[in-house]
Amino acid sequence: MYRESGYGADFFVPIQYDEKKCIGCNLCVDICQVDVLLPSERKGENPIVAFPGECWYCGSCVMACKTDAIRLVHPLMNQVRWVEKDSLGSSL
Amino acid sequence: MKKNEWPYELKYGEKKEYSCDVLILGGGIAGCMAALGAREKGLNVILVEKGAVAASGAGGSGCDHWESAATNPCSKVTPEELVDMMLRDNKGFNNGISHYIECREGYDRLLDIEKMGGKIRDTEDEFKGADFRDEDSKLMFAYDYKNKFTIRIWGTTFKTAMAKELKRVGVNVVERVMVTSLLTDQGKVGGKVVGATGIHTRTGEFMVFKAKASVMAMSRPARIWLFNPAMVGLSEFRPTQCIGSGHAMGWRAGAAFNMMEKSVRAEFSAAGKSYPPYGAGNNHNTWYPASILDANGKTVPYADRDGRILTDYKDRCLPANGQKFFMKGGGIDGGIYEIEGPETISVEGNPEYKLPLYADLSDLPELERKVIWGMMVGEEGKTKVPILKNYTKAGFDPEKHVLQCYGSGWKSATFLSDERQLFGLPGGFMNDWHLKSNLEGLYVAGDALFASDCYGHAAATGHYAGRHAADYVKEAYEENENGTSEFTRGEISQAQVEAEWTRVLKPVMKLESGYSANQGYRWQEVNMAISKTMQHYCGEVRTEDMLNTGLAQLERIEAELSERSIADNPHELTRLLEVMDILTVSKLIIQASKARKYSVAPLCFTRGDEAKEQRKDQTFLVIKKTEDGIDAREVALDYYGDLKTNYEEFNKEYIEAEGARHV
Ligand SMILES: Cc1cc2nc3c(=O)[nH]c(=O)nc-3n(C[C@H](O)[C@H](O)[C@H](O)COP(=O)(O)OP(=O)(O)OC[C@H]3O[C@@H](n4cnc5c(N)ncnc54)[C@H](O)[C@@H]3O)c2cc1C
Ligand code: SF4
Ligand code: SF4
Repeated sequence: MYRESGYGADFFVPIQYDEKKCIGCNLCVDICQVDVLLPSERKGENPIVAFPGECWYCGSCVMACKTDAIRLVHPLMNQVRWVEKDSLGSSL
Repeated sequence: MKKNEWPYELKYGEKKEYSCDVLILGGGIAGCMAALGAREKGLNVILVEKGAVAASGAGGSGCDHWESAATNPCSKVTPEELVDMMLRDNKGFNNGISHYIECREGYDRLLDIEKMGGKIRDTEDEFKGADFRDEDSKLMFAYDYKNKFTIRIWGTTFKTAMAKELKRVGVNVVERVMVTSLLTDQGKVGGKVVGATGIHTRTGEFMVFKAKASVMAMSRPARIWLFNPAMVGLSEFRPTQCIGSGHAMGWRAGAAFNMMEKSVRAEFSAAGKSYPPYGAGNNHNTWYPASILDANGKTVPYADRDGRILTDYKDRCLPANGQKFFMKGGGIDGGIYEIEGPETISVEGNPEYKLPLYADLSDLPELERKVIWGMMVGEEGKTKVPILKNYTKAGFDPEKHVLQCYGSGWKSATFLSDERQLFGLPGGFMNDWHLKSNLEGLYVAGDALFASDCYGHAAATGHYAGRHAADYVKEAYEENENGTSEFTRGEISQAQVEAEWTRVLKPVMKLESGYSANQGYRWQEVNMAISKTMQHYCGEVRTEDMLNTGLAQLERIEAELSERSIADNPHELTRLLEVMDILTVSKLIIQASKARKYSVAPLCFTRGDEAKEQRKDQTFLVIKKTEDGIDAREVALDYYGDLKTNYEEFNKEYIEAEGARHV
């Protein structure tokens, strides 16, 4: 049995599925080397992000998906900052 | 809490047996090339991989540089010159044999991968006219544009191509199986390796692989000192499931290891502290030679090794006056004087520069900008989706925006001195000129070897180990059927198989038999305990007393683990078995540290209790487990002899055949 929650890891959501686009082919499940994803119980539905904390953010699942149904997002703490070059110095 | 059914069929009590000539353990770059190298010799080959070969391993999701391609038609350096510098850069604490193979054969492997369908040159003329492109071959180079030995590659195309090739040539690929132990002749420590065991990561089925020779290609250990249970996948730079099982099972079987006392202060992508690799501002690797600006928009200048400020951006990719070539990339931050490359000046503590710094591509010529943002960031592992695609979608425009830096160099984080990592060129399996370990029948490739790193190195040593393992099988089994050779055929011990089967299944069987889930340890808790122990007892400065106490502490954890660890399903079981391997590797590191009685700077190894008078000449310290204890011996740093002479002596057939192969 796997537990959907109960891991400290659950507060990260690296993978978001677009239910409308996903055709439930499980290509993403079978490419992930970490085995983060599990096939859905119901045929045709998007997979389950069973072990989110184990994701190493490689993007292989997104590259494998033929319907562009996956969004991979870095955790908030890892979202980096960029600014317009022209703004440098101006506010300082 | 919602409980779902495990979606895969559970096969805990079942066992499957396989048999082959050459068994490949791990299907990263090294393992794939090893399988192909052995298969080319006409043998029956099985490759076992924990993930899916099409995207597994450190290079599974991409790679943007192919280093040390000294034999490509544009290169102006020889393999001998390159390896000489690699050895000198590490004061001799490096793997002369494997890096020579990398420099001699790496480019051959790149051509192989191109034939399989990997993209290695600018066939669409996207970068026509760029300084880094050779117009005839359409190869594109990085760093040193004069000497042209590092090739820019479209690495996201490589592993899918390799997976197809394995299928095409008839390698039997067994995926989603975690190899758990090496089987030795009669189960003896130090005996010939006659196969391996594994467990299916989705069904829990147990597997036994019988082989005449095996190639270890499971890369290097991780999560020894650094672990964060909430973000396991961000605990280290390498893929979550690559934690050094190969080292653990090799140690248990009696394989010899070199440089395992080496560790560095953590520097990259660890414990969740770093910002995304290649996704924060920097001017290293993928991002070389980006400009760096301070918070006022002032340029931080590049200087050559002599401190001469480089005003023309073109000089960032050329050797200094009087310098033959420079080296960048891989693990090299600041090399020795001879090969030190251009670098932005250090601004730490300099009040003229205001933090934070930013990486700027906007002032580079268009093709330089396009090759960094679009090709390199895109082809490098872990960049195509989370960096290139996501940043672009969020509005990042390299002509207009500058990306913030979060640390000096490429680090993107800062760490404490006891937070260590096996990074750069860490310890690993000791090898000879066949890339054979000390155990008969066991060959080693890629980052499992001591002092190893890089994609091209993994490909080159993989193919080499695969074909030498195949030669051994042919010679020992086929040509010497009349019994003239001294080799031992070896036999699998059923007792060893049974004991391993019981060991690996124990944590799930406990729950199956009604053991209360609240009484047991889960893998995350154990990994935490190990990394804390290692930081405390085996950190930057090591002493005999602390190492002994640390070892006792690990043994206590190990006893608890064996009695009380639990796992709910095959996935968690895999993670738990990994942590058991992390524990074994931690013990190996402590043993290697105990054997080394004095500090060695190139190994970043500090003994706090060294007896000055004990200091000896610098040598390798090679250690292994025996039937009755631990054996440590000194080996000369240049044990491999003259590189060119020996390489040619051991590879006559290859040298002859290869000449004809790629025309
Ligand atoms: C993000 C990133 C970017 C990089 N970029 C570059 C670059 O641009 N240029 C460069 O030269 N190098 C680069 N490197 C380094 C390079 O990718 C590695 O040195 C190289 O891929 C190592 O190859 P390998 O086959 O030895 O190990 P890996 O590719 O890591 O393969 C090991 C394989 O063994 C499998 N395995 C592990 N344990 C078990 C087990 N118990 N049972 C079964 N299978 C197991 C793993 O699943 C994995 O597939 C990069 C590394 C990373 C992480
Ligand atoms: S690969 Fe794409 S379509 Fe297929 S299951 Fe995954 S998300 Fe759905
Ligand atoms: S990003 Fe990589 S590790 Fe994460 S779920 Fe996708 S394939 Fe798996």
